[in-house]
Formats: sequence, structure tokens, C-alpha cells
Amino acid sequence: MSKLMAPGGTLPMAYAVLEEGADVVYVGVLGWSRRGSDVELKDEEIKDLVSFAGMKGKEVRVVLNTMPGSIEVPLLLKKVDMYSGWGVTGFMITDPGCMVQVRKHFPEIAIHVSVGTGITNAAEVQFYKDMGATYVILPYRMWLDDVRAIKRTIDVGLEIFLFKTDKQDGIICPGKCTMSSYFSFQRWVDGEGKDYFYGSANRGGDCLRICQVGWSAEPDEYQLSKKIILKGNPRLWFLDLPDYIKAGVEYFKVPGRDRSDVLVRDIVRFYRKVVDDILASNGGANLETYVPELQEIMKRWASERNRRDDRLVARAKD
Amino acid sequence: MIELATHVPSLKQLQEYDLSAYDALYLGDFTCPLYPGNFTSSLPELREGVRRVKGMGKKCYLSLYAIPKDSDLDSIRELLSGSQELPLDAIEVHNLGLLRVVQELRPDVPIHLGVFGNLYTDETARVLKGWGVQRVFPNAELSLEEVLYIRDHAAIQVIVPVHGKIPLVISASCFVTEYAKIVPTHCEETCAKGHWLTHDDWQMKNIGRANLSGKDLCLLEYLDLLVRQELDAFYIHTLGEDAAYVKAVGCIYREALQRAAAGEQFCRPEWMEHLRSLAGPGLCNGYYFGMSGQDYVGRELALQCSRC
Repeated sequence: MSKLMAPGGTLPMAYAVLEEGADVVYVGVLGWSRRGSDVELKDEEIKDLVSFAGMKGKEVRVVLNTMPGSIEVPLLLKKVDMYSGWGVTGFMITDPGCMVQVRKHFPEIAIHVSVGTGITNAAEVQFYKDMGATYVILPYRMWLDDVRAIKRTIDVGLEIFLFKTDKQDGIICPGKCTMSSYFSFQRWVDGEGKDYFYGSANRGGDCLRICQVGWSAEPDEYQLSKKIILKGNPRLWFLDLPDYIKAGVEYFKVPGRDRSDVLVRDIVRFYRKVVDDILASNGGANLETYVPELQEIMKRWASERNRRDDRLVARAKD
Repeated sequence: MIELATHVPSLKQLQEYDLSAYDALYLGDFTCPLYPGNFTSSLPELREGVRRVKGMGKKCYLSLYAIPKDSDLDSIRELLSGSQELPLDAIEVHNLGLLRVVQELRPDVPIHLGVFGNLYTDETARVLKGWGVQRVFPNAELSLEEVLYIRDHAAIQVIVPVHGKIPLVISASCFVTEYAKIVPTHCEETCAKGHWLTHDDWQMKNIGRANLSGKDLCLLEYLDLLVRQELDAFYIHTLGEDAAYVKAVGCIYREALQRAAAGEQFCRPEWMEHLRSLAGPGLCNGYYFGMSGQDYVGRELALQCSRC
């Protein structure tokens, strides 16, 4: 049975997406996810959320998908122990060594392999399955054929983002990029001993989106003549959702921890309607009728993304 | 015994470049399977490359494509199966799916994890040892202290880049093809020259399918610190550089490392000047001393690092 997973970048956002019909909410832990501290939750907020979700028969997934430093691994395990004691049943993790440790100490916990691993082929999915993965989050560049091929050969759950890139090539992001931290990188350690690396999404700071500024290329023998954006932005999608559901994808994930609470609430409301329509019609729903609504949402999405990118790039230049 | 290594993408460079300063060569360009003459795209050329490298008395490693799709794996399997008789000293992988494939097809050969393998923790290094990995290239974002921690706690060899541009990101498509919508007619020349990407005072170098740091990582000033920590595998990044660069940088570090190991003066001002002149936008220390990749810390600050 496919489930709708939605972000909780703030506590109000987390409550809102559960009210709007998300089956699962995912939240980042302060200092431990690939987004900035402003869209991560404190421990006590996560505890309250788990209690609220439990009363509604829903679940919370906790994002611990930074690449920790070696000495931070025990702290990560301590966090897993604490959250699972509160009722959290699954975690997003990137580091293979951490996955093995979590699987060893918490055999019942669901491990979602983070998109931060930058997977490029099915053999790699199998590797993470061998590490103890329950679900693998596929990158935006892997589409239906990849899903079908993986489902045919590997007994592992799949999680798909409800946004994807227009093409399957280009820069491998997230997962194989350190451009942001090369230009801007600050470190500090909090009271628990978590090292923050502001400028590195891999290490728990934030990506400062330096790929989105205009770059000029020299020599310009191919007459590119304009400023280049180094990475395309993924777009929300839904028209081929019936095929993905049929292919057996377990989780459909709404992105947007760093978007506004209202926009994310509206996106979840939209996808809940679409998914319910697909399931009720056994795949026969006329999805074209939803296109105008998504187009409006996409305009708001792009507007908020541009504002976020400007803010992050400005920080990189500080 | 100190080892100085670099990558050589094709037979052409192996024949034409002065590689005498290097103890070990990684054959193949891991960023682009389509690089003309890439050792990984032709078994006969790989065979000849291995023969020549062994003839030079150097260690010979095969470097595989860093981000293979499923459609790339068949040709890589074919290459690995055909390489059975080659006396490879190791195979470098950057992709954990490919790690499984190499272990299946060449269980006799040690595996090295490459820079895009995303190694950040000793826990992962321990896991990878179980898959035949004997040497790891820690992620560029790690400090020297973290690199040493991994070596000491996972009991695994680490290779430390001491000079050259830092690989920052890899792409599944060619820069020129993506933005100019054409396939370059002379790939090799285009990639050898590269493209300088500039935004205000930020600079990077594109070599086709990878963006590299604009500045050259340079640890010449700190070689005694590295040798004192009993590090023994050093690397110079030369993909996208010309013959003069490969020779000059290799020779400087060869001599400097020998001097540092012997406790002699190892950092000559004229060497630093020469390295600066080769680097374009300048020199940096990467992330070794806890700063952003493009900063040059200087020896005094670096000595405050707890393991220096």
C-alpha cells in the first residue's frame, strides 16, 4: 500500500500535513539533517509530534542524514535510541557505517537510505539492502524504468520524491557535490557535541546553492553567451503516479521542509486528493483535471525557491 | 615506504608525460567514460598500459567510472572479466554498487575507494574493509584530524591528496554538450584545456564531467606534519592538467617528501613560487585545517590542529 509522506520543517507544518492527510511526516533533527537549523526541530518538539501522530494513527520519520564525523556516531545512536523510545519507527540515514550500527542495535527500526547517498544504479541499491536498508530513497533522476528494474530484482522498499528533474543527466546532487562548502564553510559545536558545518549539506549545515548563481565560462568557444546555472531544479509531478503506484513504490514523498507552512499544507492537500482518486478509481482517474491546480502550486513553489536561493547565496558571500 | 600517486587517463598521456616522480599510477579517467582513449573503455589499451607501468617498476591501479548507471555496468563487467590476467595492484571504485561487482569478478585484487566514494566515518571504513577495500580516499570535506582518526580506528590505509585541484562535483553529462548542445569535436583538447567558471570572485575549473576547485590544494608547507603522522600514501590530482604540470608538481613533491622523511629542509621558496605560477587562481589547503576548501591557512594556524 503506497503512503504519502510529507515534511515537517516547522512544528506547525508537521501538524498541518498530518491534518491534511499525510500518512507519515518526516522531520530533521537540529544539526543532523541536510537542511539548515531553521527547518529542523528540537528534541522536545519531536516528542510532542510523535505523541500527536500516534493519536491520529500516523507515523513520524526522523531525518539523521548528515554524514557524521567519526566521533559523532555514538551520539547518532543515542539519538536513535531516544527517538525510538518515544515511538519513532524509522530514520533516514546516509552513512553506510551508521546504517550497519543502527541495524545491529535496533533490529526493528525502518532504515530509509537517504537521497544524500547519490545512488546511480541498482547494484548500489542492493549494496544498501545488504547494509540493512528497509527502504531506499531514489534520486530525482531515477524514473519509472529504474523503479521497475529494482522492484523486479531486489526485495527492498522504495521511496520516491514527488519532484524530479527534467533529464536524467547533469550534476549528481545531492550526494556527490561539495561546491558549496568549498566557497563557504563555518564550524561550531553545540552543547551535545554535534559539530555543525554551515555550508555543507553533507555534514549537517545547509547547501548555499552556489550552483544557482550565474556562472560565466572561459574560453567561450561554444558561444554560450549567457550566464550558466549549474544545476536544473526538479519540478513537482503527478501524471504518471498511477504507474509508480502500480510498480509498487511504498512511499511518495512531498518535498519542501524549507518552504512555507501554507504552501506545503496546500501541496499535501493536492496530492492527498490525487492519490485518493487514483486508488478509488483503481488507476482510471482522469488526472488532467488536476493540472491547473498543480500549475498554480508550482508557481508559488518557484517563487519561494528563488527567495530561498537568494537568501542562501547571500550568506555564502558574507 | 612513501607512495606518490596520480591518475593517467589514457595511453597517450602514459606515453607522452614524464611520470618518473610517481610511484603508482591509477589508469583511467573516473570522471568520464567517453574521454578519448580512456583505459576503462578499451581492454587492449588497458593491457598495454599495465605492461608499460609495470615495466617502469611502478604500482598499477585501474580506476573505474565514478557514477555508472545500470547501462554502464555491462561494459565495466566485460572489462573486469577481461582483465583477469593483468597484474593489477588494486582497482579503484567510487560507487558502492560497483564495489559489489568488483568483489564478485576480481576478488583477488585489493580495492581502493575513490574520492567520490563519500567516506566520512571510521564505521564505514570498517564496513568497506569487509568488502575488500584496503585503501580509502576520505571525502575532501574532512579535516586532517578526521582523516587520521579513520586510519587509526578502522586500521585502514588512507591516501592523502597533497596537491592539485579538488574534485567538487561530478556530472553524468558533458558540460559542453549540456550547455552548447553539441558534442565537442576534439573532446580530449576541450577537456585538457577545461573551462574556467567564474562568478564574482569565485572560480572553478570544469573538465567535462567534473567541476574542480579553482585553486590548487597545496600541502607542501606541511609535509613534515603528514610524514610525522606516518601517512604513507600521497596523491596529486592531475586530471585536466598538461604534461608540464604533471612533471613539475610530481618532481617537487617527490623531492620534498624524501627530504621531509629524512628530517631535512623540505619546502623551498622557489618551489612554492613555481606551484603558485602553475595554479592559476592560487593555492588553498582544502578542508584539512577546519576551514572552507578555498582558504590557505598558513603553517602557524595549521599547527594549532590537535594532531599536527
